[in-house]
Amino acid sequence: MTDTSQTVMVANAQQHRVTLKKTLSACLLLAVALLVAVLVASLLGSERLPFSSSLCSLVSLGQNQCGLSADQFDILFQIRLPRVLLAAAVGGSLAIAGASYQALLRNPLAEPYLLGVSNGAAVGTMLALVFFGRFAWSRPLMAFVGALLATLVVYRLARGKAGATPERLILSGVIVTTFLSSAIVFVTTLMDATRIRSFTFWLLGDLSGASRGLLPLTLGITFLATIALTLNARSLNLLMLGERDAFDLGVEVARVRILVFVLASLLVGSAVAASGSVGYVGLVVPHLTRLSLGSDNRISLPAAALGGALFVIVADTIARTVIAPRELPVGAITALIGAPLFIYLLKRP
Amino acid sequence: MLVIALSLTFACSSVGPSNKNQSAANKEYTDDVGRRISLPAHVDRVISLAPNVTEIMFAVGAGSSLVGNTTFCDFPAEAKNVEKVGDTFHPSLERIIALRPQLVLVSTASQLEGFTEQLRSHNIEVFVTDPHSLEDIFRSIAQIGELVGKQDTANTLVTKLRERTTAIENAVKPLPRVRVFYQLSAEPLYTAGRDSFVTDLIKRAGADSVTAEVPGAWPKYSAESALAAKPEAIILPTGGSMGEGNSTVAEALHNSPAAQQGRVYKINDDHLVRPGPRIVDGLEEMARALHPTAFK
Repeated sequence: MTDTSQTVMVANAQQHRVTLKKTLSACLLLAVALLVAVLVASLLGSERLPFSSSLCSLVSLGQNQCGLSADQFDILFQIRLPRVLLAAAVGGSLAIAGASYQALLRNPLAEPYLLGVSNGAAVGTMLALVFFGRFAWSRPLMAFVGALLATLVVYRLARGKAGATPERLILSGVIVTTFLSSAIVFVTTLMDATRIRSFTFWLLGDLSGASRGLLPLTLGITFLATIALTLNARSLNLLMLGERDAFDLGVEVARVRILVFVLASLLVGSAVAASGSVGYVGLVVPHLTRLSLGSDNRISLPAAALGGALFVIVADTIARTVIAPRELPVGAITALIGAPLFIYLLKRP
Repeated sequence: MLVIALSLTFACSSVGPSNKNQSAANKEYTDDVGRRISLPAHVDRVISLAPNVTEIMFAVGAGSSLVGNTTFCDFPAEAKNVEKVGDTFHPSLERIIALRPQLVLVSTASQLEGFTEQLRSHNIEVFVTDPHSLEDIFRSIAQIGELVGKQDTANTLVTKLRERTTAIENAVKPLPRVRVFYQLSAEPLYTAGRDSFVTDLIKRAGADSVTAEVPGAWPKYSAESALAAKPEAIILPTGGSMGEGNSTVAEALHNSPAAQQGRVYKINDDHLVRPGPRIVDGLEEMARALHPTAFK
């Protein structure tokens, strides 16, 4: 072994350690912020709960009632905390799905909503409700299938002879999105009147109607898929150089592509089945994390997941409290925060 | 909001030159959103764009004047044979104009501001009903009766409905009032607010809605506030034309006193969500469910 190659290896290892350290400290910071957000969001709501007792009970993970009445305890642990956790799962899912699409497709605008993936999942969820309404698990399952089909169609459409240019990709996304929007309108005509009313809300992105039964599944998918995608972050880094270069550098391009498509569809599917189409999360959060932490996917992927969770928790807390006891759909809040933020990011030098 | 929007569109449309026949025989009316309309003394071509309005038309004996209604209009049975102009949310403007009605009756529930303006530009008068209480519903029955020349039948009907209402109110008066949560839909949780006639009905049925002071007619409501209000009974409008979608209590309310004590009452939604003559049936069913001892 020559001296130079040894030096390169040492440098690489050193750089690797630096990256690892940076990843860990950034993620640790975000994780602490997320934990604080979960606690604060659980203490805020349309009903006032005694602050110290609630905090004490939350910290004891519900083992201790800390002087809360049975009703207050119910509100905290049966209604509020599950909703906050679901907000975290939905936000984390959409943000890391967006971040991985952006890396894989080398397109800063690739986002579940713009690519039509969210709408694919929405059509799947609605069909599940119309035809298999009694089986709750059919919703995330069909949402996953819908999201995956939409992804594959968009990807196929986008790949011209010259490869998938960013413009082609977004155009294909727009076409598939509008097509699926008409499919959604068509499916609503199959539903009874009450459901149509609920669905207009749900389509905007709404966490209030979420089935608690699906919470463990949604949280589990978010957690496992985030880990799986982060483990492939190095391949995604190389893919950002272009598919040819990545292939030459030893990345199994086809395998990574399928993996990202399947995992992102799982994430978007479970998020949409739980909360409808919450927009802007997959766009704004990855941009923010990349701007502040750099574009190394080993950092930006897990950071996007944590940041997305944080973002949707904040947005849903606003949706729950700003006109309490009435509520707004969380999608309206994410769009209200997200759109101006995104314009700022675009305009900034 | 709606009132402002409607009065604005009206203000705009009244600026342009009017080409209507203002014959001396025409009568002037003011509808529930404050718009003034002018109709000939004899009105026999009417389109109803809401099921409650269709029910009122038949109940006052003007069913034969209906030349069009919506696919949602399913009561009484004859209403199904009337030509359909679409559903309440998406009526066909072309079909309405082709049917040459003198008057189109709209319920604000269908939210048709832009549509109303277009009809007016075709010399078709639009009358909006927007009841917020049982008294308002009675008034709209009498009003529609007057528009179509059936005042007497309408007034007799309203008198009968009033008598039934008074009987129900008297029966429940001595009994302790019940705290009620009205669940319009479970996912997401919708209820009846301050501006809803349902809140008034609940009051007359010897109960108090826990959401009586919430702004709006049909607000989306916080699950934790619903639970914290500790409702003693829950009313589920279901089983009618809305289907079975609302036949179970929202998950968040499973630990409410109402659900724990089995005081969850399903009432035919057609009797509760349609502000027409059958609303008193809904009132009676609700009173019987909440106060069974009053009706022995």
